Amino acid sequence: MTVHPRAREYPQSMLPGMIPDEAELTAGTKIAPGRRYGFFTDTSLCIGCKACEVACKEWNLLPADSLGLRGTSYDNTGDLGATTWRHVHFVEHIGDGHGGRVTEMAPFQSNWLMMSDVCKHCSPAPCLEACPTGAIFRTEFDTVVVQQDICNGCGYCMPACPFGVVEVSLDDGKAHKCTLCYDRLKGGLEPACAKACPTESIRFGELGELHKLADNRLGELRDQGVGTAYLYGTPDGPGHAGGLRELNAFFLLTAPPETYNLPEAPTRPAGRTGPALAAGMATMAALTAAALSLFAAAKGGGG
Amino acid sequence: MSDTNPQKILARDPHPNPPPLAGEGVIASPPPQAGARATQGRVRALDARATPAMRASEAIPTYYDLPALKASLYGWKVSAYMFVAGLAGSAQIIAAAADLIDPDGNRGTVRHGRYVAAAGAALGAPLLILDLRTPQRFFNMLRIFRLTSPMSIGTYALTGFGGLSGLLAAGQLLHDRGIAPAAIARASKYVEVPAAILGMGMSTYTGALLTATSTPLWAAAPRLIPAAFGASAMASAAGLLSLAARNGAGDTLRRIERIASVADLAALAALSKGLRREGIRTRSDAVPAKIAAAAPLLAPLAVRLGIRRAPAAAAAASILGGFLLRHLLLRAGNRSAERPRDYFRFARPR
Repeated sequence: MTVHPRAREYPQSMLPGMIPDEAELTAGTKIAPGRRYGFFTDTSLCIGCKACEVACKEWNLLPADSLGLRGTSYDNTGDLGATTWRHVHFVEHIGDGHGGRVTEMAPFQSNWLMMSDVCKHCSPAPCLEACPTGAIFRTEFDTVVVQQDICNGCGYCMPACPFGVVEVSLDDGKAHKCTLCYDRLKGGLEPACAKACPTESIRFGELGELHKLADNRLGELRDQGVGTAYLYGTPDGPGHAGGLRELNAFFLLTAPPETYNLPEAPTRPAGRTGPALAAGMATMAALTAAALSLFAAAKGGGG
Repeated sequence: MSDTNPQKILARDPHPNPPPLAGEGVIASPPPQAGARATQGRVRALDARATPAMRASEAIPTYYDLPALKASLYGWKVSAYMFVAGLAGSAQIIAAAADLIDPDGNRGTVRHGRYVAAAGAALGAPLLILDLRTPQRFFNMLRIFRLTSPMSIGTYALTGFGGLSGLLAAGQLLHDRGIAPAAIARASKYVEVPAAILGMGMSTYTGALLTATSTPLWAAAPRLIPAAFGASAMASAAGLLSLAARNGAGDTLRRIERIASVADLAALAALSKGLRREGIRTRSDAVPAKIAAAAPLLAPLAVRLGIRRAPAAAAAASILGGFLLRHLLLRAGNRSAERPRDYFRFARPR
């Protein structure tokens, strides 16, 4: 990526103030309300440095969590949650499938798969569709945010999320998840994780541009012989957005989705609301009819 | 000191089921011991009951068997609410049906049904509010109305049902004291039908609420869970009202209880079958609810064998069964959310 011409206007180490529309310099995109933004996370470029996790925690003032070793891989974070909004998966493909250790490795990332997971900012968003208070809303940047001054901690978003992202904290009794740095977007800054990513595995931008970028990268990888690469969460992906139209934060993966703890075809829970309510009301209508006829029979029999 | 305990600070235990070591650790780990092998044998014996869907998907990879979903935080307060809401809703339906057909012959049933409905709504609201993690903001539920969210729909169903049931119960109280009985009886006819329709919603929307999530055990059977909830609510309410009924009124209520129990059993049988087909492990979660639902059907036989108290015992079983069904299904769902393979089997392209 070439340096943006405007970057030459700020040669000093200590800046006098905020650079207007800084995202233009760092992500090549100018942030304006009304446009749709998201993340393209290219796992083939991730080196597992966790800079995104750290940048996210620092910018959003999130406390440390998961103190302790999991004993599974180099990933001791484990999952996304109330205080973890970026999470780097470490998948180690080191066994030979028979309990032994491989003696030869393909020259691709030394058999490590790394992937920086994040809230998918789905459209439509199951957490938003479940939220009974309107605390979860869609912003002017087409991202999904929990308003902390409205959430009453009912917790319905937690089982609604098809990716296990949003979580109610027992510390403050509110639901928390990635805001796609709503505050930074408002200030013309790209999200902290994308800015901190040293390999451009995390790309922030307008969705149309990101899709183009992703398609190009996919073609590039296929040309290089990585036939397993595919996109997860793009609008016309092969079932990888499931019942959801698309994911604003989408991914380039090189192994089955489940390897990264992602469902192959996530469903839209709100699609079950209508059939479930109708089935319930039909059952009750039938039982009510039975009760009416039994009362009528008793009246006839008694009188 | 206790403040630094991570398990106290976090919402969930960060290490619910530590998976076996993988990667480099495997090389260093000692060979499995005799006890461990016996455990593996038991695990294999359990797996022998796995359905074809489960066996076919053994190849599904997971991320170190860590949960792919967040389980709900719902516990006994939500189970208790779902039970009370169903009991109250169905009691109102029975009271309205009895009052519409034969008000003179069913005075007791109508009175008790209205009181149970109002008491259930009055008890249910605080249970729900106490389950919020920020209960002082409960009124934010009334900020919006959202048709995609059964919880939002349920909030308004409870508000409306509680209001109408309160009116009906207050009218009943005045009526019984002899204050304007004719006018109150007339006015109640207009209130009881909408109250009963909201009662249908109260009996079943909690099932839709569980179903409209990503939790595999709830989401896999979107129609059967609300149907089972509704039928068991009707059985519980008919059972409860039959306990207070005098003379012949109890016979009709016990018939309603038996019909509802048959519907409940049918829905639960279909639910177990459907979950097995989807490859979702249920262990024996619905068995206590099935036993409770069978009790009213066996009661007439028991009476014939000389057990006079059998109908009362069956009514108690219906009431307990209504709670158990909801509580066990809630817990089983929360556990299924922690099993990544169950979820991945459910969330596959169809």
